[in-house]
Amino acid sequence: MSYSSALQSLERLLQSFLERAVAAKERRLEVLDGINRLDDIARSSQEGQDIIESIGEWFADQGDWLEGNGLRGGDLGRLDRILAAINSSLSLSGDSSPAAAKIRSELDRWSRASKSASQKLILKRGPEAAESSADSVLLFGKLLDRLAGRYDDSSRSKEHLLSVLDDSLRSAQTQKSKDALLLSAFIIYYLKQNNYKVGPYVRRLKEAEALVREERQHA
Amino acid sequence: MLDQAEKAYCLALLALKDKDYPAASDHFNRAAPHFKDNREFNLLSQTTELLLAVKKERTKLDSDDMIELEEVLPYGKEKDFC
Repeated sequence: MSYSSALQSLERLLQSFLERAVAAKERRLEVLDGINRLDDIARSSQEGQDIIESIGEWFADQGDWLEGNGLRGGDLGRLDRILAAINSSLSLSGDSSPAAAKIRSELDRWSRASKSASQKLILKRGPEAAESSADSVLLFGKLLDRLAGRYDDSSRSKEHLLSVLDDSLRSAQTQKSKDALLLSAFIIYYLKQNNYKVGPYVRRLKEAEALVREERQHA
Repeated sequence: MLDQAEKAYCLALLALKDKDYPAASDHFNRAAPHFKDNREFNLLSQTTELLLAVKKERTKLDSDDMIELEEVLPYGKEKDFC
């Protein structure tokens, strides 16, 4: 094979790999694109630009998000923060036109929907004790998927695993999230296997575990 | 609000989807300081860099071929004048 044809073959291989990698994340990319566009709108609104038309288009494009389709816990949190920033900019602008009022009411509706969608995710989990052994295999697989998504969200912009662990433990304590608790335990065990001192984190894990247990008893 | 690194990573993925590899590389470079320990990020950004390097090398090879062609053409014209 000549040098030129070897290069051509390598180019095709690399391009095909990237295409497949992106195709595998297509739905995720749509979500990220939507969040990124909303973030651009929020930045424009903070610069005093008129965003009524662009935010209206965004609401129309992302209508299915109100059902929580394809959104992760981290996405709902991001959406809520960005929507709050837009709402605050609109309030500061003092725009009292009918269009601005309509956008404000739509912002409130989205904010409420994103909160209820995140609650829906928690309610979907059934008690493990009632499941058959085949279901437990399936449920554990789904749990691993959720933990991977949670880790993916939490590890972005973090420089060390300890920061991810800190974030995860805080979520377990404040949101009483069992997934965050399990992810924290997983990371602690991994760190312990790699000779880190995990004593303080184990204490926080036990505190979070007590809070999650208490929450489940009251549920 | 998203931080600039998150936005850059998102834009890099969208550029990859559009097969705009130079733009993807720029966005990956801007996101790199915050994602240097993220395996998926490293895999995608380094594959993009390698692809761009291969494309550059191929372009160089093609332009070498063109220089040879340019040298042949004036020779042919001179011959016609004689």
